[in-house]
Amino acid sequence: MAAPHIPNLNTLRNARGTSRGRGRGQGSGGPSITSYEEDKIAKDKIVQQTDQDASVSRLSAVEAGYLDDPFAKYFVSGEGQRRLPIINRGTYVRTKAIDNLVDEFLSKNPAQRKQIISLGAGSDTRFFRLMSRRPVPHGRGIQECPNVIYHEIDFQANTIQKLHPIKKLSELCSHVGTPMTISHSTNPSEVYNDDTLHADQYHVHPVDLRNLGPSRPAPRSFDFIDNALPTLIISECCLCYLPPAAADTVALYFTRHLFPDSTPVGLILYEPIHPNDPFGKTMVSNLAARGIVLQTLKRYGSLEAQAARMKSYGLEGTGGASVKNLWDKGVEGNEKERVAGLEMVDEVEEWELLAGHYCVAWGWRGGPEDGVWDGWQSMAEQLGGN
Amino acid sequence: MSDLDKAISELRACKIIPEPQVREICHKARELLIEEANVVQVDAPVTICGDIHGQFHDLMELFRVGGDVPDTNYLFMGDFVDRGFYSLESFLLLLCLKVRYPDRITLIRGNHESRQITTVYGFYDECLRKYGSANVWRYCCEVFDYLALGALVLGTSSTLEPSFTDKSQAIEPVDDDVEIEIMNSRNEVTARFPRSRRRLFESDGLNSSPPGTPSKTGPSGTGATSDSGGSHHSGGAVLCVHGGLSPLIDSVDKIRLLDRKQEVPHEGAMCDLLWSDPDEIDSWGLSPRGAGFLFGPEIVKRFNHLNDLSLIARAHQLVMEGFKEMFDSSIVTVWSAPNYCYRCGNVAAILELGEDTSNGGVIARSNGDAGRSAQAFMPNLAPRSGPGRRYRVFEAAPQDPRGMPAKKPVADYFL
Repeated sequence: MAAPHIPNLNTLRNARGTSRGRGRGQGSGGPSITSYEEDKIAKDKIVQQTDQDASVSRLSAVEAGYLDDPFAKYFVSGEGQRRLPIINRGTYVRTKAIDNLVDEFLSKNPAQRKQIISLGAGSDTRFFRLMSRRPVPHGRGIQECPNVIYHEIDFQANTIQKLHPIKKLSELCSHVGTPMTISHSTNPSEVYNDDTLHADQYHVHPVDLRNLGPSRPAPRSFDFIDNALPTLIISECCLCYLPPAAADTVALYFTRHLFPDSTPVGLILYEPIHPNDPFGKTMVSNLAARGIVLQTLKRYGSLEAQAARMKSYGLEGTGGASVKNLWDKGVEGNEKERVAGLEMVDEVEEWELLAGHYCVAWGWRGGPEDGVWDGWQSMAEQLGGN
Repeated sequence: MSDLDKAISELRACKIIPEPQVREICHKARELLIEEANVVQVDAPVTICGDIHGQFHDLMELFRVGGDVPDTNYLFMGDFVDRGFYSLESFLLLLCLKVRYPDRITLIRGNHESRQITTVYGFYDECLRKYGSANVWRYCCEVFDYLALGALVLGTSSTLEPSFTDKSQAIEPVDDDVEIEIMNSRNEVTARFPRSRRRLFESDGLNSSPPGTPSKTGPSGTGATSDSGGSHHSGGAVLCVHGGLSPLIDSVDKIRLLDRKQEVPHEGAMCDLLWSDPDEIDSWGLSPRGAGFLFGPEIVKRFNHLNDLSLIARAHQLVMEGFKEMFDSSIVTVWSAPNYCYRCGNVAAILELGEDTSNGGVIARSNGDAGRSAQAFMPNLAPRSGPGRRYRVFEAAPQDPRGMPAKKPVADYFL
């Protein structure tokens, strides 16, 4: 019953792929250093721009009522865009899961000053959300503005973009800490440039992570990192864009090199997983068409691989869950009902596919006497499995 | 060439047609659809298709694999629009074909054929983008309100006719015992499952695999009935509906009594038919979709028995293998949007049901009355012998790069 007069478009597939590959090399006269550099800059730019994608998604989830984040709107340049319900839900689940891990870390011995280092932080609003907390009843106790020093590290292009609204808007700069002057100051609490900020509790470092390594001099701004404070390192879709060896070098730089063994260190990764099933393969090729290469995905493509990775970074405790599991098991009762009721999510199977291909993994070391990681341990037990 | 034929050839080339013509076609379609019952009667042979979701190029691939209209008699189970980039072209083409060949194509309503859902999932935006106003969206939504809620396929055969493309090909008869045949898009048989599968396993020494568990023969989506009848010729009646059953509906006749000419309500029988899903549960459950219900195997078997149905065919849920039979083959999900949303990596399928010619072409009107009242309580709901089923599985057509929309699609992934 087939209709032979209708052309089979699939037969064109290989031919087209080949010609596309050939076309790319034309005109450039073969690879040269300049084209290599240009290519590298263009690739970096694509990675840098993933942040705008994320901030638009964040604002979409806020406007649809998933997240309460009064700061999201300040970091979206241009028009916001409404995302599909499953994207909103995914943004919500990932943000809440990391918020929970951060809260568990900060709420143990709240008087003890702690430190958070966010890699490739981009337009992330977590610092402002933490600082704008008012004493309100929350879970087991009162949630207050935490005693934390917050560092964000990103490409200079991204820190400039980040600092632009922070400098301009009192809603943002009022949380940064005082005093601030726009000058090259020798006073550590008053350094504030277009691309750099060092305030009491908030530091923005314009640093390319690929330049970090045990044999290289640390960026001067890293003097502001206190290597004795219990420290949490966060990578939300950041290290996954680096080649696996480079990603490992960066992670090890923080977990092994920068902090002595006596300092409790935790690491949170938010990354895609499962590149080899049909959805994963399609994800890899669709993102590649946009110039986005998830470089660590093959090596760290499962929760088990992520746990082994944490161990290889010297982190003894590990936990992890897919976004699907974080939604199924990690969002409770009334809150789940509230979120599920925000929008009609017709695409249930698609949600399960998509959410099954992202995970939050966490690992930690040190600090057993004060139980700083107890909450992480119980989250690992509660959410274990796929 | 008539204006309608011109419109069809424009749409086949994935080009939109002028707004006044859309209005006229929608008007004609409504006149046709208003005459249809809530449950349309369709005679086998018929090719049953699931969700399309605006994946125009894949719809063309479907026609290439399944045969063109009017050569093949088609039944589309809804969700023509939303998600894909070409909802307009896809729906308008199907609608033009319906107007041109009303007896060769049946369209029933999916949950996306609704004003509310299309404003969230893309069809509304697409109409605005392509026509600069919401007029065409409004015309289409008015058609949606008239689409039938279900279809009843009669006159199916329990056996499979051989499939062939050109006359030079030798026609190999298909063994009468074959209940399910799976073919790829190159018209090659990739698997066959006999009706008396259990018996075959025993004779082959493969009885280590109990019925119902995945067997060595690797049926990705199948669970052929193990009814060893084999002597039947009629495959029984098949109910087609987009989503599934409703706790408010215990007979096909009750569907016939609904007032369907309205926007899909948020609850009630009409909503359930378009939104519900089968699931491995006892009786009924709440749906994670926020509309419709989940229903279990006993619900389906009882409904089929009471209504003298051999099978329910439905769409609505993405299945990676294109189709999935459940509950001892009493219900099947057919999914016809390959690589759904251009990212899910799934294959698609269509289901061909052959015609029972054993009775001189006279169709037994077996739609739910025979012996129905005899048993209010049935300890053993033995499934009746289903129709011979040929699934044609196909992959996504490549996107025409020139056809990609100027506006970038929304973020597909979390970055």
